[in-house]
Amino acid sequence: MSWVTIIWSMAASASLTMAAMNLLIWWKQRSARANLLFSLTAIGAAAFAYCELSMMRAQTPAEFAAALKWGHVAIWFVVVPLVGFLRLYLHAGRLWLAWVVGGTRTLALLLNFLIGQNLNYLEVVRLVPVSLFGEPVMVAQGVPNPWQIVAHVNVFLLLVFCADVTVTVWRRGEHRKAVMVGGSIILFQLVAFAETLLVFWGFVRAPITLSLAFLGLVAAMGYELTREVLSAAQTARELRENEARMSLAVGAADLGLWIRDFTRNEIWASETWRRLFDFASPESLTFEHVLQRVHPEDREAVERVMAEARAGKGQYETDFRLLLPSGEVRWIASRGGIEFDAMGKALMARGVARDITATKKSEQESHLLRQEIAHAGRVSLMGQLASALAHEISQPLGAILRNAEAADLFMQQASPDLDEIRAIVADIRADDQRAGMVIDRMRALLRRNELDVRPIAVGELVADVVDLVQADALARRVKLNADVSDSLPRVRGDRVHLQQVLLNLIVNGMDALEGSNRQVRQVDVAAHLNDARMVEIAVGDTGSGIPDDALPRVFDPFYTTKPTGMGIGLAVSRTIIEAHGGRIWAENDPRGGAIFRFALPLDEEAAPS
Amino acid sequence: MSEGIPIVHIVDDDAAFLVAVARLLKAAGYAVRTYSSAAELLANLGDDAGCVVADLRMPGMDGLDLQDALSRETNPPPVIFLTGEGDIPTTVKAMRQGAEDFLTKRGPKEDLFAAVDRALARDAQQRQERTERRALHDRFDTLTARERDVLRQVVAGRLNKQIASDLGISERMVKLHRTAITTKLRVRSVAELTRLAQAAGVFV
Repeated sequence: MSWVTIIWSMAASASLTMAAMNLLIWWKQRSARANLLFSLTAIGAAAFAYCELSMMRAQTPAEFAAALKWGHVAIWFVVVPLVGFLRLYLHAGRLWLAWVVGGTRTLALLLNFLIGQNLNYLEVVRLVPVSLFGEPVMVAQGVPNPWQIVAHVNVFLLLVFCADVTVTVWRRGEHRKAVMVGGSIILFQLVAFAETLLVFWGFVRAPITLSLAFLGLVAAMGYELTREVLSAAQTARELRENEARMSLAVGAADLGLWIRDFTRNEIWASETWRRLFDFASPESLTFEHVLQRVHPEDREAVERVMAEARAGKGQYETDFRLLLPSGEVRWIASRGGIEFDAMGKALMARGVARDITATKKSEQESHLLRQEIAHAGRVSLMGQLASALAHEISQPLGAILRNAEAADLFMQQASPDLDEIRAIVADIRADDQRAGMVIDRMRALLRRNELDVRPIAVGELVADVVDLVQADALARRVKLNADVSDSLPRVRGDRVHLQQVLLNLIVNGMDALEGSNRQVRQVDVAAHLNDARMVEIAVGDTGSGIPDDALPRVFDPFYTTKPTGMGIGLAVSRTIIEAHGGRIWAENDPRGGAIFRFALPLDEEAAPS
Repeated sequence: MSEGIPIVHIVDDDAAFLVAVARLLKAAGYAVRTYSSAAELLANLGDDAGCVVADLRMPGMDGLDLQDALSRETNPPPVIFLTGEGDIPTTVKAMRQGAEDFLTKRGPKEDLFAAVDRALARDAQQRQERTERRALHDRFDTLTARERDVLRQVVAGRLNKQIASDLGISERMVKLHRTAITTKLRVRSVAELTRLAQAAGVFV
């Protein structure tokens, strides 16, 4: 085997190997278009090596001419992808110049097929053997094709383009890239340019050895791309290291990680995250799956926060509850960021989640405690008020009693002192008026709010009050149920006053459960339309009920069975209900516990019958 | 007010109630004086026999403060408290400090009368005891130092012979001292002497 065959075959196979490698990279990662372009250049170089070998081994001038003609196709594949590669990989070079280079090369290819035997010779006249590496190879002699000037112009322009690229890259500070890619390409191009000028115009009788220049060019480009692959591997190693460090930190902080791909609507999540959200490991996830886990009351807020982040805010930070399939409620603190592409389109979201149930619980507990303290404060304030009123009334009443008793004693005397008795009677009258004034003041206090009567939906009324006391009920471990149909007709009444009555009855019900050791600690609120065409609202508890002898007296003012009660609540409730033209009464539930009921007239405009 | 008739001192900031209670007690036959504040009562109390009926809740010095001030008098009068609504902690505190009674303002008048009677009786008794004790002390004060020494031994139940040897005097001198003691203290027997010494709080 001859050296020429060995060298040219090796040049071709080296080019093909690099082409195959980079084609594979492009196949795996379609965005790596620079690798595709490099492959094309390398394939072109390999093909040209084959054409050159054919030329050197040609038996007839026609064979030589044909090999050279097809060699121009290979050159087109070297030059045009090379220009694209430089633009893509080095992000440099003037675009118009790139198009001109591509255009002139294409024009040269067209002329190659249209005029003469090929672009270089109108006609190859004869072949002359010359010696290369000590063996004979064929060199052509013939009529040069004047149109080959187009190819020379093209190569010159390519040189200018490469120079432009190199200067730009150098100025950017990427000196190594400028030298390795720009510099070597220019060097090999210059060599090729000089050789073609000398050989094809017949100044020098020598074989065309452009392949070797192309191989150098491909090797320089390949080296650069391989470095990239190597540095990618290095980066991957560093990434793995970082990941390990990160997962250590994440594990220590008990953070769950998740990444959401918007285009594919897929979610990757760490083991901790899956544990937090209670998803099995292999389960594939979408955002909809995750939303299903979020507590229904928080779902809308979570969606809104994510949408805002995705719409351009870029960051999100939110606390929400999960409602797990087991019924457990878990508080999650979640924060993260969105990654956008150059067009501002959201690509993916990355986030961390943390379980903050314990923190939230203690927050809630302290909130409840504050409420209880406020409640206790209110109660003691009312206690003081009641005590002050009692004192104010007991003074004149005491004076009246003592005066009356004194008068009684005076009159039993043999000769009663009538003046004294008259003075006593006058004092009794004055003290009576004084007591009356105290009572009038109290009444004025209670009457301060005139009734503001409007149509009221009973369902809303009940829901408002239940909302108000729900926290209290929770703290007192009382189950508070409300079962009120929306289809009930409206009643007429003062919302605030009726709320007060309902609130009072519910709190009384809960008080009745205090100290009871019953299993079921429950207060039920129900409403229905009764036979008298009034809406009847019932508040029942599961306490120990009301003693039969106390039943008729529970609405009397100052009648109370509670150790700290004042006996005002039910009396005021009765006043309010009766002012509404309604009725309030109490009964014992045969199943245990007490039921307080009040009936209110319907809103007549809505219910004409 | 004539000597010897006990006086019920009534103090209440509520004029109407003050007058009414005074009237009632007067009608029931008690001698009454009224005051509109604790300070006024303290300034005008004097040392007559009697008791105090006080409103527990008064502006300035209240019932408990008044009781505290009265306990520092030579003859502290018993105190009956009246209140609109008795709360347990105040009641307990008042009773601990020695309140005679604790009544609600509109309680039965018989309770009030009974309480006043009890208070007056206690005052009278305490006054008499204090008088007797003072008289007794006066009598003991007439004894000489030597007679006191002998008396101390006699009350301890020792024989004349032992006393004589202890004090380094003759048995006859002991007998003379004993005669002087019984004469001065106006007692006839050793038993009576011992009882008297105990009542006067001597050698106990």
